[in-house]
Amino acid sequence: MEVNRGLETNPDYLHTQDASGVANFFKVEDVFNLARANSLWPLTFGLACCAIELMAGGAARFDMDRFGFGVFRPSPRQADLMIVAGTISRKMVPCIKTLYDQMPAPKYVIALGGCATAGGPFKYPGQYGILEGIDKIIPVNVYIPGCPPRPEALIAGIIELQKQIKEGRVQGAMSPASVIDSQDGRPADYKNALSRAEFRKP
Amino acid sequence: MTAVAEKDIKQWLIDSMQPEEFIEKDVKGPAGVRFEAVVPLAKVREVAAGFLSDGYFLESFTAVDFAECLELVYHFNKWDAGKRCCVKALVLKENGRPGDGSWSAPSISGIYKAANWLEREIFEFFGIVFEGHHDLKRLILPESSTIYPLLKSFKGEPKGADVTQSLKLIEEDKEGFEVTYLQTAKLTGKDYYLSMGPQHPSTHGVLRILLHLDGERVIDARPIIGYSHRHQEKMMEIQNYLACWPNFGRLDYVGAMSYNMAYALLIEKAMGVQAPPRVEAIRVLTTELNRIASHLLWMGTFLLDLGAFTPFFYCFDDREKILDILEMVTGERLTYDYFRFGGLDRDIPVEFIPAVKSFVPGFKTRLRDYDGLVTKNVIFRNRVEGVGFLSKETALAYGATGPTLRGSGIALDLRRTEPYSIYPALDFDVATETGGDVFARYKVRVKEMHESLKIVQQLIDKIPSGEIKLGKLPKNVPKGEYYSAVESARGSFGIYLVSDGGMNPYRIKLRTPSFSNLNALVDVFPGNLISDVVAILGSVDIVLPEIDR
Repeated sequence: MEVNRGLETNPDYLHTQDASGVANFFKVEDVFNLARANSLWPLTFGLACCAIELMAGGAARFDMDRFGFGVFRPSPRQADLMIVAGTISRKMVPCIKTLYDQMPAPKYVIALGGCATAGGPFKYPGQYGILEGIDKIIPVNVYIPGCPPRPEALIAGIIELQKQIKEGRVQGAMSPASVIDSQDGRPADYKNALSRAEFRKP
Repeated sequence: MTAVAEKDIKQWLIDSMQPEEFIEKDVKGPAGVRFEAVVPLAKVREVAAGFLSDGYFLESFTAVDFAECLELVYHFNKWDAGKRCCVKALVLKENGRPGDGSWSAPSISGIYKAANWLEREIFEFFGIVFEGHHDLKRLILPESSTIYPLLKSFKGEPKGADVTQSLKLIEEDKEGFEVTYLQTAKLTGKDYYLSMGPQHPSTHGVLRILLHLDGERVIDARPIIGYSHRHQEKMMEIQNYLACWPNFGRLDYVGAMSYNMAYALLIEKAMGVQAPPRVEAIRVLTTELNRIASHLLWMGTFLLDLGAFTPFFYCFDDREKILDILEMVTGERLTYDYFRFGGLDRDIPVEFIPAVKSFVPGFKTRLRDYDGLVTKNVIFRNRVEGVGFLSKETALAYGATGPTLRGSGIALDLRRTEPYSIYPALDFDVATETGGDVFARYKVRVKEMHESLKIVQQLIDKIPSGEIKLGKLPKNVPKGEYYSAVESARGSFGIYLVSDGGMNPYRIKLRTPSFSNLNALVDVFPGNLISDVVAILGSVDIVLPEIDR
């Protein structure tokens, strides 16, 4: 019998396959990934200018709900996508880290705009106020350039993230964070690592 | 010392001091102040008390670092026209070190409540200790910082310091450094502390408020700011005048045009040039369109905070139409830097005027809709009427400006009281309300949208033709001190520039309106219910990166 590798090679597998009478094999995790990709709940969280474009993306005209990622949650415990929108001041870093730790696994991060990517226009030699890029503290899946990026760019970025999740390319939850969980002193990603390890058992 | 009453404040200052103590400086036209005087450091408190009893508010307070001394610069202003006064006092350096008390000045926070935050800011950026200040600690930077960045001797942090310090701050956070806030207050069994923010959907950015509660009622509220500090003032010192433009676009990203306008007017005033009439008309037109967009964003989010979801979409729909128009002029949606010294970046395109003309009638209908749906809405009225009363005395003590102040019945609008650009020739009213509550501030902003639309309608057919650029201008600004203020969507925005004639500004102080308006809320919150905190906070329309700078 031909064993179909399913979603691993074809992300749209579930939609295209004729289900009649063929035995298909694919990993349970792939099905989960498909569900995760199509139901991203972003955290309501803005830092500076980019947050206004984030709001515009969710409001009339751009309407992110059309793509299934418009359910903004104010609590990190209900969200699985963090869009870091704006300049990261050093005073804010512990707060962002705490929010990231509080999000349940698997979680994904988008760096929106120049500041969250690499410091943006506020980066100069000897600066004392900002962190030059959020990826120095938490892992980032998709970077969106712009100052600020247009809402269309944000939507394109999230669609790119969805694609990566469906294809299983995104490590997201698995990637080791360089810092310790502020809640219980264990590595920040151990919960994700555990949940993923369960999936990987034969 | 005699009373100030019925005397001019300048005459009073001269009378109340020894002749050698009062040193008046020559003031030229572009300095933007009525008079400027240096007084002895020990007499600063008396001077401040005199200004307060004459009805002046503390508009701006900063320090400038010179080789031998630090200069404290107080700007006092009145709600009437053209009354800005500048008083200076010198703190001698004499081999002292920042932060350890060897540089000290008397605190005026007991006289002007606005000085509380301003003195903390000067303490953390210059290391001047204010004697008599009850709570002198860092305001904007993390409390464990050891740097005094606005001193000229501060040469910047080494590469990689951002990550090192961030990891250190995460460690401190884990140990609970914020608990120190609670330890300072008296903890009784009944009291309850609630930390609102910095991530909160209703704080309009990264603001944190520590609420001290008795049941549902707020006893004390302490805003904690600085989560969006982007070292703009230091950045402007190390780059040339032209390179400062993007900073002004990102200072208040919701109403960026006014902030650009302030900078353009400041440098033009300092250089002694006047922009061509076509430039002024286009500037005012785009600024007023931007003001409407800013108020629309405020209206949508404010009502969203109160639980009304529909207006958010209506307001953003209208706002997008304005952004389309501004985008075809400037090429940007949000963080404009369209103005140049003595001109504009580019001329308006041909489709601009028809686009504005087709926008105006539709928006008028929408304003009528908002009136019916929101202003006359019983649920909304019951929620906001009589809540968050800001008295004139509080507004004076904290230096509140803009719609926040006009909601308390004071007609301070710099477009009228301190006219700039072509505003004197335009017909519009200064929107005021006497209620002083959340509803009054709401009504002021709605009226302002009508007035701004009126200005747009007046100008759209009368844009004069002509040049949009002056010829080549020098790259530096003549030596001197300049103050320029405009009415932004949030209040009076002032820039204090000290130039040494070089290619970079020597010092730029940004007097931002939200800073004072938020500070005034410290006296407004107590006594209100916790659910009204959101309504009050929404009604002053703060933008956090503008507060933290």
